[in-house]
Amino acid sequence: MYLTQLLFLVTNMFQDATDVAPMDTLSEAYSDKWIAAANQGEGFFASFMSSNNLIFVVLGVTLIIWTVLIVYLTRVDKKISLLENQLNHSSNET
Amino acid sequence: MSLVIVGGFLINIPFIPILEQTARNLFFHVPMWMAMYAMFLISLYHSINYLRKADWLVDIKAEAAAKTGIVFGVCGLLTGSLWARFTWGTWWTFAEPKMNLAALALMIYVAYFMLRSAFDEPKKRARISAVYNIFAVSTIPFLLYVVPRQLTSLHPGADGNPAFSEITAAELRFILYPAMIGFIALSYWVYDITYRAYRVRYISEQTLRNPI
Repeated sequence: MYLTQLLFLVTNMFQDATDVAPMDTLSEAYSDKWIAAANQGEGFFASFMSSNNLIFVVLGVTLIIWTVLIVYLTRVDKKISLLENQLNHSSNET
Repeated sequence: MSLVIVGGFLINIPFIPILEQTARNLFFHVPMWMAMYAMFLISLYHSINYLRKADWLVDIKAEAAAKTGIVFGVCGLLTGSLWARFTWGTWWTFAEPKMNLAALALMIYVAYFMLRSAFDEPKKRARISAVYNIFAVSTIPFLLYVVPRQLTSLHPGADGNPAFSEITAAELRFILYPAMIGFIALSYWVYDITYRAYRVRYISEQTLRNPI
């Protein structure tokens, strides 16, 4: 019961593309049209982000930086552990 | 030394939540690009140095700096995309030159790593990628400063005016500049970790190839 509700929430979270008025950014000059301040869309994700004067956008931005850095450092860490294993094995053999 | 840098970064954090709402993104989005420029400059310095000295350590420094620059560039693109969704209305727009040229600049650097992976012989790889890197860095000022300022853009700094003019609130600078220094210091720390990892990888490859 809760699981299906959660699934519904998650799938709806990122489907906000249709909520925003489609914008022709290729043929028209788009500059100076800050359209989104008035029209943020209806989806759960969009309305959550635009609540409280868009403060959650700032939260999202910092979280993105955090995640990218953590993922990158974890990958470097894994690489180093792999090398350590190799070195240990090779020193055991000789 | 790394600990000192991290400490210097931690001090910046209490200062950040002072101003209102998405303008705060300035403290995170802009320093990402500054950190990327810093890393690419370090990479340029080491590439030039490699052509003079032909030392493998210098080549690895250039590689690590370019890698770290890409990581921070990706951060900048993703944060910019999220910010654009809620202030400009789209995740991505092709009418915005700075956004697209930044993506292009990152692709030039991805090509740097493809070029590196194409060579087996370390010396040849180091020399050719050093030359490529010097060319790649020379495109950055044009892609991210000269061209966007000639075109209309949603970013501040378009149509020929400087990015930080008198319309920007003066208080922002007190946070922005420490944030830039802090993030550049953080990127230098990440670069140092990457460099050491690459150095250990190179040494272990050499010892595995020719056991003592």
